[in-house]
Amino acid sequence: MNQLNIITRRGFMDRSFKLGLGVALSTLLDIPLVVRRALAENGIGLNGKKVLFIFLRGANDSINAVIPSRDSGLYSLSGNSGTVRTDVRPNIGIPLDAIDYSSSTIDSPVAGAGATFAYSNAIRAGNGFAALHPSLKFLCPGLLANDLAVLHRVGYPNQSRSHFDSQRYWENGSPNNNGVQEGIFYRAMVESGLAATAPLTGVSFQSALPLLLRGSGVAMTNLADPTRYDLLGVPYPTGEAKADAALAAANNFTFPHKQQRDLLASQYRNLSQTLDLFGGIDFVEQDAQLVDDASTDGSGSAYRLFPTANGTNGGGTATKYVVDTGAYSFMKNVRAAALVLNQTDAIVSGTEVGGWDTHNNQGSTSGTHANLLSRVGWAMYALRKYFLRYGKGGTNVIPGTNPKVGWNDVIVVTMSEFGRTTKQNDSLGTDHAEAGCMFVAGGSVNGGIYGCSPSDAVPWLTGDTGSLYGVQSRYLKRAYDYRSVLGKIIRDHLGATPGQLGRIIPGYANPAENLGVTSPAAALDGTQIMGEPAII
Amino acid sequence: MPLLAGIALLAPTVLHADGYGSETPPAITNLSVLGNQKSIRFPLYPGVEAYTFLSASNGAGPFAVDTNFFIAPYTNVLALGSNAVTNVSYEWRATNNSGSSRFYQVQLTPEASSNLLAAQVLNRLTYGPTPDELDRIHSIGPEAYIAEQLAPWSIAENAEAADTGIATYGALMAALDEVVDTNDARLPEFRGWHVLRAVNASRQLLEIMLQFFENHFVTEYGKSYNWLNNNYTNILRQRIAARMEYAENQRWRAALLNPQCTFYDLLRISAESPAMIIYLDTVTSRGDGTRIANENYARELLELFCFGVDNGYTQSDITEMSKAWSGWRVRIVHPTNAFDIFAPESRTTLDGSANYNTTNLYGVYAFNYQSNFHRNGIKTIFPSKTVPARFGPPWAGTSYQLVLNNGNADSTNTVADGYQVIQHMANQPFTSEYISVKLCRLLVHDGFPNPTTSTNLAEYAFYNYPQPSLSPEAQLVHDCMMAWETNSPKGQIWKVLKTITDSELFRSHAAQGQKIKTPLEYTVSAVRALRASTNGTGLNGSFTADTDGIAISGSSLGNPDDANNPLLRMGQMLLFDRDAPDGYPEDGAPWINAGTLGERIRWIQSYCIANGLLGHTGNVSTNDAQNTVSNPVRLLQTKLPASSWTNATAVANYFAITIYPGEGAANLQLYRDAAVNFLNTSDTGTSSPFASLTVSSTANSTYDNRVRGMVAVLMSMQRFHEQ
Repeated sequence: MNQLNIITRRGFMDRSFKLGLGVALSTLLDIPLVVRRALAENGIGLNGKKVLFIFLRGANDSINAVIPSRDSGLYSLSGNSGTVRTDVRPNIGIPLDAIDYSSSTIDSPVAGAGATFAYSNAIRAGNGFAALHPSLKFLCPGLLANDLAVLHRVGYPNQSRSHFDSQRYWENGSPNNNGVQEGIFYRAMVESGLAATAPLTGVSFQSALPLLLRGSGVAMTNLADPTRYDLLGVPYPTGEAKADAALAAANNFTFPHKQQRDLLASQYRNLSQTLDLFGGIDFVEQDAQLVDDASTDGSGSAYRLFPTANGTNGGGTATKYVVDTGAYSFMKNVRAAALVLNQTDAIVSGTEVGGWDTHNNQGSTSGTHANLLSRVGWAMYALRKYFLRYGKGGTNVIPGTNPKVGWNDVIVVTMSEFGRTTKQNDSLGTDHAEAGCMFVAGGSVNGGIYGCSPSDAVPWLTGDTGSLYGVQSRYLKRAYDYRSVLGKIIRDHLGATPGQLGRIIPGYANPAENLGVTSPAAALDGTQIMGEPAII
Repeated sequence: MPLLAGIALLAPTVLHADGYGSETPPAITNLSVLGNQKSIRFPLYPGVEAYTFLSASNGAGPFAVDTNFFIAPYTNVLALGSNAVTNVSYEWRATNNSGSSRFYQVQLTPEASSNLLAAQVLNRLTYGPTPDELDRIHSIGPEAYIAEQLAPWSIAENAEAADTGIATYGALMAALDEVVDTNDARLPEFRGWHVLRAVNASRQLLEIMLQFFENHFVTEYGKSYNWLNNNYTNILRQRIAARMEYAENQRWRAALLNPQCTFYDLLRISAESPAMIIYLDTVTSRGDGTRIANENYARELLELFCFGVDNGYTQSDITEMSKAWSGWRVRIVHPTNAFDIFAPESRTTLDGSANYNTTNLYGVYAFNYQSNFHRNGIKTIFPSKTVPARFGPPWAGTSYQLVLNNGNADSTNTVADGYQVIQHMANQPFTSEYISVKLCRLLVHDGFPNPTTSTNLAEYAFYNYPQPSLSPEAQLVHDCMMAWETNSPKGQIWKVLKTITDSELFRSHAAQGQKIKTPLEYTVSAVRALRASTNGTGLNGSFTADTDGIAISGSSLGNPDDANNPLLRMGQMLLFDRDAPDGYPEDGAPWINAGTLGERIRWIQSYCIANGLLGHTGNVSTNDAQNTVSNPVRLLQTKLPASSWTNATAVANYFAITIYPGEGAANLQLYRDAAVNFLNTSDTGTSSPFASLTVSSTANSTYDNRVRGMVAVLMSMQRFHEQ
């Protein structure tokens, strides 16, 4: 019951006795038991598979992202199209075109000669029900190639509508347990057995290490700006070697035990191990090397995959910007995450993108939310192209690099803490709600729409008492548990054994949670869920 | 028979009546013998002046002091599958021991508890020790120092004399009162002002409380900026948005200088702040008719500002409460109406014409109640809810239902809905508990989890007050809640703080050094650690370390790519511009990873390099310590007799105990040894006795570089992140 790591005065003094040895180095000397055990099982990290995550912080409005275009609870249907209901989302709803939304066509707004770069309304996603926000048009190539899975109605039992709780649960893999201070990917890396010996297993590029990669036993790495990752030495540069040597020696000093010392010791070691590792990677892309393989707008220019300035965004043409100009630091982080995955032995890397808490003026086909979606849509597109072109076995491997992973061995996954209210509020925004959506892409992914169809095993119910109003008559009801999605990836892609998965996502070890089933079953709160989607 | 010795244990030589030293002393965990070498290992004990080894030929004694042991490194290789992890650690070793089997004991001499308390006080109630404050607290004693800091209204504030930059920034900030001023004070100046006060204030605990409540009632400068009419010039929008942050900060400062300042006082300032009304979207919320009011503020008021998450409320309470806040808006009014919440929009125009476009109006942006957007009628929040049993007396079982009944008409009376909500919530036990927990986390250690009323969460049992064996942490929270409850008026912040500083937990090893510094605390404490007044006046210009403030908090306006902002680089700590409403974390883990440590150490190294040389506003990088400068040679010349200036041991020892007070001389031995070794080594690693160097504080002289490098190494160690 009590999984809290509450270190009372007595607690940590007792703990120091148990550790016994030179206490300052307890993390280094005492390799956690779980790591030793992992060595016996192997699996994760040995099959060459990797994961790149993007966390959409603030709660993405999934209903405007992946749109149930044939749901009378959202649209006044007319023939095979319809109009946004003025009592549901009068100002923010995404208009439908006068085309057949029951068709299995996947609109192709960005591919080929007929590309309609300025696509403006809901885009048909191929299952006759779901449609995409026009700002997600760059997801279409992945859908067409069948290597992008779009998952709707994703949540967990007894959903929290607090950002901070819900982000925590998505990251620690233990819904409604605030005491678990370890992340899902952290535990996956620990189970790999490599975390204590390899210099780099999990890495993020954002302001701070996310809980997904945080834990007390071994160190994961976060860099806010990889281009200035080195130390100075005093005086600089003549005294640098002497200062570095003094610091390296000091890392071994023995201390009276303190609450945070294990954390500091492991991250100091992590720092010294990763300094050189990142030194050889060209994080700023000096030579415009990472570009698309074809023009995306018919203009003939191949866009930069990771635009970080106006001049590299949509060929430098303002009317054709692929992302809004506020996206550059995010694109820089996405690029770093991709480069590190491809050029080091890291197994998991990722970043985050904020600003999704659209209580106010979220916009419709344009505006705040549309801009945010364009960032994610382009990031998914760019990562796909990056690994296809510059990854292991890629078509355009950069001479001198030794790519370590290709598109078939990478999975890109997005997360967001919950969805937003089905009806807009009177600030022209949406408030906190329940189920949301995820995107999963990779060469080995079974693409398609999951969880957004009346013909799903747990059907999407339409109308005013349907799925859109399935919880308290105001929130989208879930049909997938996010843990089943991540669990599927960690087991079937990264290679965790069932035993390891039960430790990485504790719910898997509890049959009553039904996380691993493949046909509808009841979750802990009685809601019917579909178990694991067949995305791999 | 092998020469294996028995082990035994002695009690510490001094037993304290206070929280320090009442722990079990160290136990020898490993004793090994190899030929003439005997090795003893044991976990270090906090705050120890000396470890003494004793031995005897049989377990019953008598034990005699054994002076042969010295501290020495050993290598430990741990096989891990096909890999091996090599570590270096330290043990106590005697190499001349050929005698027969003996029994050993280790005995410790604790540092004086007043020294330990002094270090704890300077780390918790101030932004870190300074050489001068260390002298002063040892002179007046830590108890007197605590009493001073708990009564800031009776401390003469020396900050503006210590740094004239404060007055310069302050004058600029004060002139932000109206939208037409032409000076250039914007967010960076306000941030710099805040940092300079943190460095210089005599009322240190007041500054810490201001940062705490500013961060607790978090608002985002950028959101105000975006909300303002975009027909304003960019500079004007920046000024007005900065003014909103400054205005609420000034009100909190004034409130905290009242000895009876209550949590309600602070909460009300937050609720009335235009920055908050904009930040959590009340500014556009409409509840009139059947409109759905925006839930954002009501949710965070419950979850983050008062009760804490999962602590006494449900979604329906949020929805109901959100109606109470509809109509709380922001409007530009004439300055004479700045505190009239019903005032009309300003009708004084900048050009004197009848053009009433927003950008032509003269005035200030202020909280403005507009009843036509309000949801009228009765609202029942927390219907039939009673305080859960875990709170125990005097709270358990009492009803906290709140009925708002301010009429069904469109009238200014309905503003009372909002005020009644905060009056009601400010002193509920959920609020006193959550705020006490956060204050304990700030001043004691991180091991105070968030309280909850959800019985299925693990934290429930932690704060189950009627249970017989409460942890010291839960007991302290309960003591704080009682101080909150039993004083009149309720919720007095300084009474709660005194409860914490009086507690045994605060005055014990359980608190000392157990917290990680935030980037603000890290940078400010680094300046303070080397900042002494060379002539004892404490006046501007006399100090051995200095900053202009914005060299720490950033000179640009929150641009995420701005590398000239150390607080940004060390983990995106953008003062007054936090985007998420939970504020910057108080616990350590979110701040510490290889990337942020790299930035921290790099900044410390730049700060220690003489200003103007490569690495510090030289040409290697502009993203360095800039106008945050140090002169450690001048510091040692101020504090040490000239005869010690070339004595490596004396110099190393002075900086070790000044930077790490309360650690204990014996526990600092490895630091001191490393510092001495550094002083006696040239940049290329060859031997170069410190005693033969020419004393100089001139930049790039060998002596100056040697001392600066040694200080940089000391301050780059893991211990400097702890407080």
